[in-house]
Amino acid sequence: MRVVIAEDAAVLREGLTRLLADHGHDVCAAVTDAEALRAAVSAQRPDVVIADIRMPPTHTDEGLRAALAIRCGFPATGVLLFSQYIETRYVARLLESGTGGVGYLLKERVGDVADFVSALERVAAGGTALDPEVISQLLHRPDPGLASLTLREREVLALMAEGRSNSGIADELVLSEGTVEKHIASTFMKLSLEPEPGGNRRVLAVLRYLRE
Amino acid sequence: MDEIRRVTVLLLGAPFTRRARRDLRFCAVGAITGVPGFTVIAVTLVLALAFSASVIGAIVGLLLAAAAVGIACRLGAAHRRALWRATGERVSAPAPPQAGRGEPRRLVRQLIGRLRDPDGWRSVEYAALKLPVAVAEGYAVAATVIGLVDCAYPLAWVAFGNRPVGSNMKPLKVLFPVDHGQHWVVKTWPGALTTALLGAVCVLVGVWLARVMTLLDAWLIRSLLGPSRVSELERTRAIAVEDAAWALRRVERDLHDGAQVRLAAVTLNLGMAREKADNDALRELLDAAQAQVRGALADLRRIAGGIHPPVLDAGLADALASVATACPIPVRIRADLPERPSPAIETMAYFCTAELLANAIKHSSARMIEIKIDSERMHALRIRVADDGVGGAAAHRGSGLEGLAKRVSTVDGTLRVASPPGGPTLVTVELPMRIRGGGT
Repeated sequence: MRVVIAEDAAVLREGLTRLLADHGHDVCAAVTDAEALRAAVSAQRPDVVIADIRMPPTHTDEGLRAALAIRCGFPATGVLLFSQYIETRYVARLLESGTGGVGYLLKERVGDVADFVSALERVAAGGTALDPEVISQLLHRPDPGLASLTLREREVLALMAEGRSNSGIADELVLSEGTVEKHIASTFMKLSLEPEPGGNRRVLAVLRYLRE
Repeated sequence: MDEIRRVTVLLLGAPFTRRARRDLRFCAVGAITGVPGFTVIAVTLVLALAFSASVIGAIVGLLLAAAAVGIACRLGAAHRRALWRATGERVSAPAPPQAGRGEPRRLVRQLIGRLRDPDGWRSVEYAALKLPVAVAEGYAVAATVIGLVDCAYPLAWVAFGNRPVGSNMKPLKVLFPVDHGQHWVVKTWPGALTTALLGAVCVLVGVWLARVMTLLDAWLIRSLLGPSRVSELERTRAIAVEDAAWALRRVERDLHDGAQVRLAAVTLNLGMAREKADNDALRELLDAAQAQVRGALADLRRIAGGIHPPVLDAGLADALASVATACPIPVRIRADLPERPSPAIETMAYFCTAELLANAIKHSSARMIEIKIDSERMHALRIRVADDGVGGAAAHRGSGLEGLAKRVSTVDGTLRVASPPGGPTLVTVELPMRIRGGGT
């Protein structure tokens, strides 16, 4: 997997580079601002980009804007936003940019290396990876549909919204894949959502429901 | 004895000081600009009044009045400059007039701003008070000049007698700054000396009058052409509020670029260490450390969000939408903000609305909350938070609403609560788009 990293804090930039190299991925560029990120992407055509949201010069949302531009200009390149905080508005804008190939994780998620790398791989492959924090913020919503879900179904829903596959969810919750499928079918029914096969469309359906 | 000599030297020596020359120059400029300045302003204002007698003329009248205020401001600037050159005292200019709010046409906005500018009308006041001062200043200069001419008579006498030889000019007249109804003519040598003495007295009177008038005029300029106490306080308050908002943003940014980055790097390294750990005991310790760091990061995120939520950079509507997504009651937000308020106002609006939202969630048992943000009326930022709950909210003493009202009032904002028992509740907050007296 060929990766471009855009992160203005040197300690994280170098740490990520090393971590990815350890896992056999090729970090072809590590830059410090959005301008350089765009240049690196058009020169390297990486599989995936890891971008901080707040970067020089204005330290506001240039990472997000660069991410949207990259999704638009280079659809084959996945974008993982990597930030100190979760803003559901940013998630919404990211998901509006198209289906799949996007992710949004808190920086501290890198602490769980295996999870982080698999999320990155998912994004590179055109999937979705959303921080559990996003889902937990959205799950606060009052809704008769959500209220009728069992605890287990809520757990499945949250993992599904993160972008996990059925087998991924089964591993995480230590369930059989068949049980997971049953939970998903029942969840979709309670929320009156059409069950969709593609992992990514599933995420979008769930998120659209949560954002309504 | 020494004291008397000192005072005498001071009194008589005044004309020979540099200060006397500066005072005289200031008085000359003051007389030359003050009298015509007053005349122009007075005539324009009288015309404005005259025109205002009819309805259509009122528009011309307003234009003329604004022009008069404008001229007074310009003249005021000239007077401040003159004072600075003469005495080295710098009186800072008052803040420029605030353009009228809520008026789409620029010219009309400026016109309203001009007419409502208290500092502009203070300039007009100065121009009026300046008239007698300017006359006195002119008199001081005239007395000095006349005195100097009189002082030169002995020289003229030595050169020409009482008239140039061969000419048929009239004998030299004694010039006198007071019209006493008689003409004295210099005919003798002692007469010429007396005239010179008289001239010296005139110079002394002129110089001291110039000094007094300069001091008086300086006081007038200070109190009428400088920033008023109110506008000075407004200016410093705007600086204080904006400074505080800026400092908070800097704290948030420092947290983001400092402690948060370091802790994120710690989680990264702990994660990598865990991968390389070869026994369960070590892994357990690393997991415990990881959990602590995550907790610290969550704490920092909460603190940073309480100081300055990063999403506020994307605008008030986005920031409030972010707050709304985490609300257990459905919140509808309608925002219509063609221009962004100043950062300090934006931050205040954000925290106020967030608190109103929290209040509604806690006390109202509402099923629906609606937030409307607009800036149409009077060019002020208006936030309305409405809920369909039980009502009965009031900004009584010690309540959260009273605290909010106080906070809002620090920037001339207002908070109104309409919450009859049984509901619904509507809280309206109005804030200026920019703090009055502050930069744009």
